[in-house]
Amino acid sequence: MMARNPSWLLTLSAMAILLFMNAPTLVVLIASFSATEYLTIPPQGWTLDWFAEVLSDDGYIRAITTSLILASCATGLSLILGTAASYALHHRMVRGGDAILSLVMAPLVFPAVVIGVALLQYVSLLGLRGHFIILVLAHVLITLPYVVRSALSSLTGLNPQVEEAARVLGADGFTAFRLVTLPLLKPGLVAGGIFSFVTSLDNVPVTIFLLTPRQTTLPVKIFASVEHGVDPSIAAASSLMIAGTAIVLILAQRWVSFSRFF
Amino acid sequence: MRARPAGYGLLTPVLALLIAGFLAPTAIMALLSLRSYSGMQGFGDDWTLANYIFVIGDPYYLLIIGRTLMLGLIVTAACLVLGFPLAIYIQRARPAVQTIAILLVIFPLLCNIVVRSFGWMVLLAPRGLINEALMAAGLIATPLELMYNLTGVIIGLTQIFLPFMVLLLIPALQNIPPDVEAAAYTLKSSRPRVFLTITMPLATPGIITGSILVFVLSISALVTPRMLGGPTYKVMATQIYDEFMTNLDWPAGAALAFVLTVIALTLIWGANRIAAHFTKGFAA
Repeated sequence: MMARNPSWLLTLSAMAILLFMNAPTLVVLIASFSATEYLTIPPQGWTLDWFAEVLSDDGYIRAITTSLILASCATGLSLILGTAASYALHHRMVRGGDAILSLVMAPLVFPAVVIGVALLQYVSLLGLRGHFIILVLAHVLITLPYVVRSALSSLTGLNPQVEEAARVLGADGFTAFRLVTLPLLKPGLVAGGIFSFVTSLDNVPVTIFLLTPRQTTLPVKIFASVEHGVDPSIAAASSLMIAGTAIVLILAQRWVSFSRFF
Repeated sequence: MRARPAGYGLLTPVLALLIAGFLAPTAIMALLSLRSYSGMQGFGDDWTLANYIFVIGDPYYLLIIGRTLMLGLIVTAACLVLGFPLAIYIQRARPAVQTIAILLVIFPLLCNIVVRSFGWMVLLAPRGLINEALMAAGLIATPLELMYNLTGVIIGLTQIFLPFMVLLLIPALQNIPPDVEAAAYTLKSSRPRVFLTITMPLATPGIITGSILVFVLSISALVTPRMLGGPTYKVMATQIYDEFMTNLDWPAGAALAFVLTVIALTLIWGANRIAAHFTKGFAA
């Protein structure tokens, strides 16, 4: 095999493209620590005032709390329902498994804004608009594909004889699943759970249609604030989201390698 | 294969959620898109195709549909042009550099889209970083209009969907046996010729999957076109948002939503067929 090293032109282009991909995040981070209202390069002084402003603002605190509770509830429910469904689908316990799987994956290929408006119409007709449980269920719907996909791929990699051995030794179906299968599925479920949590935390196009004027999540609040212009406290709130994502990723690395992502 | 009662027990909650929370809302929206619009109750009692005729026949809506499709094409082309060099570089780089480069591709992917679009606003605004820098350098006298128009939306969407393209192109390139390219070089082929006649055709399944994904995501995007296009430069998703939230013309909004869905689903279906043809039955 003739391995070819990247030429300097290719290296330079790749560096420029990587910079382009990371520029907006970098700029947000710098802007949130910058002392001036408008960002200049190099920044004229540094401050933590914008973070203090965000963290002392009731609106932001409520939005952050709502986002975290919503993502936790949706991910928890998605993991329970998704694992149960994946188990049944993997073991071909029902007819029409392929059709059911396509249905589970459907919210991934439907334009998110269409799911959002369809749910808005439906929930309004039923008179259920504004209930927190509706938001949780909508988020389960959009996170389920990630959980089911990773649960199914973990189940495929599992040796079926391990669970059978537990059954032979006298464990009932659920005990065998809980003590033998579940621990083996853990890395896959953690990966699915993380993807699900980040997806729920980030979602705007479905969430925005289901909120009442009194409710908001962090990304929806940032999205709405921008209509009044760019200001450094929005950058600080955004930096908090970037930090949150980074922390989730670092914690995740303890269980999952990055190779899972592609 | 034998049906077991426990299987239904495990699947019932998920099926109930999908039927009551996804199939029913979509079906009801399909029905309501066939009702006439009434200013008082939102929608009337009679069945009609008027909403679809209105959406497909009105010059304003046609402009928005055409603009959305053009936007999708430009963003897809831009992602291919930028994605290819990066994917080739990552494939050829040393393992240590490879890991860092892949992390730099994945990190923006996981960062919130609102946050990334906001970053572009800071960069592209009339008094944003790019304009200030260009004016300070004396290259321009008045700020360039980089935002609240097509330029801004293209820049934002390209950055947002580029990671998907790169992550799909890398495995496509890895599947090409290195001997094939080596053989072409031995036979004195030039680099551009090897790229056009060997690398590109062999990477076709990856190129098709990546392009369709980026195109469908671009025409469905709501957040970035809204933030970088502003309230006046509209695409299909932002128009649907306004029909539902501002104009309260739900039947027209529903009809437009279905036009978008049909375009997206047809493309995904077609792409799966083409990819299946190329990979001989291996579903992409």
